Amino acid sequence: MFQKLTILEKTITKDILKSELYAGQRPAAELLYTRYSSMLFSYILQFVPDKEEASGLLVEIFSRLTPQLQKAFDSSLSIYCWLQVESRKIILEHTQQENQPEKHGRDYYFSLLGECSPEHQWIFRELFIYGRKKEELAAQSGKDLAYISGILRDCLLIIRKNLV
Amino acid sequence: MNIELYIQSGIVESYALGLASSLEVEEFEQLLPHYPELKEALSDFEYHLELFAIENEVPPPPGTRERIQARVREIPNVPEVARGEGKSYRRQKSGPEYIPVVVSSPYIKVHKNWRTFLIAVFILAKVLLAISIYYFLEYRHTQKQVLQLEEQLGKGAEK
Repeated sequence: MFQKLTILEKTITKDILKSELYAGQRPAAELLYTRYSSMLFSYILQFVPDKEEASGLLVEIFSRLTPQLQKAFDSSLSIYCWLQVESRKIILEHTQQENQPEKHGRDYYFSLLGECSPEHQWIFRELFIYGRKKEELAAQSGKDLAYISGILRDCLLIIRKNLV
Repeated sequence: MNIELYIQSGIVESYALGLASSLEVEEFEQLLPHYPELKEALSDFEYHLELFAIENEVPPPPGTRERIQARVREIPNVPEVARGEGKSYRRQKSGPEYIPVVVSSPYIKVHKNWRTFLIAVFILAKVLLAISIYYFLEYRHTQKQVLQLEEQLGKGAEK
């Protein structure tokens, strides 16, 4: 009950955001920041452990996504999930451009994968955190694509099981 | 299509986390309007994902809000609202003042003064109805009395 109240207070529905956007992009960005900045900052830290760098990315994410909010309305995803998905694209663009050595960030979704084998965790990390392609991983590990896809499916279902 | 098997393939999680390929996304979005179970599975996962994010919040360092505000200030502050079919619409100074808004909710919003007005109209209607019924009954009663008097007059004349 308490959890439901918490999420209801935090969640922005598309209609709420639309009415803010009616007043302009700045009020909409303000609303998004108030509700989601801490959630997104924590999400970014799993990709980029350095807080300064993560903060710079948060600025980049808000300034790039605010003018694209129409896409959030058109998406089948909720506002928060849309923000997460789009943020990941910007984060991967940044980490791949920087060509940084692989750093381990916050556990975040990995805290839900504790029961998985190291191989499962490695594959999920490569796909989700480093944005590598399944084909690449298959070629690197000498396994076939179906094997990699199967492991990803296992990880996703474990995440769902541990989230719900 | 066996939708349960499709859901068990991890597609919902893959879609919500941004791990689905463009082909998978396309297929998922085509199926979504036709399968309520798929929609429910997605909403359920999104809800738990958001709850997880709330539980794991980390506030950004001080000054981040100001940096974002400064960056957003560079964007022209024009209202942008949905027009339907994925097109965005920007209000132009020279253009019309009407902005078509597509709202998915079946409800409409009205000013709260309308509530008082509608209650007053409702009460007035009830009062008028009661008055109408009262006068109708009075009329029928009078009619009866007139008929009775006419009958009495008729009988008196015969005598």
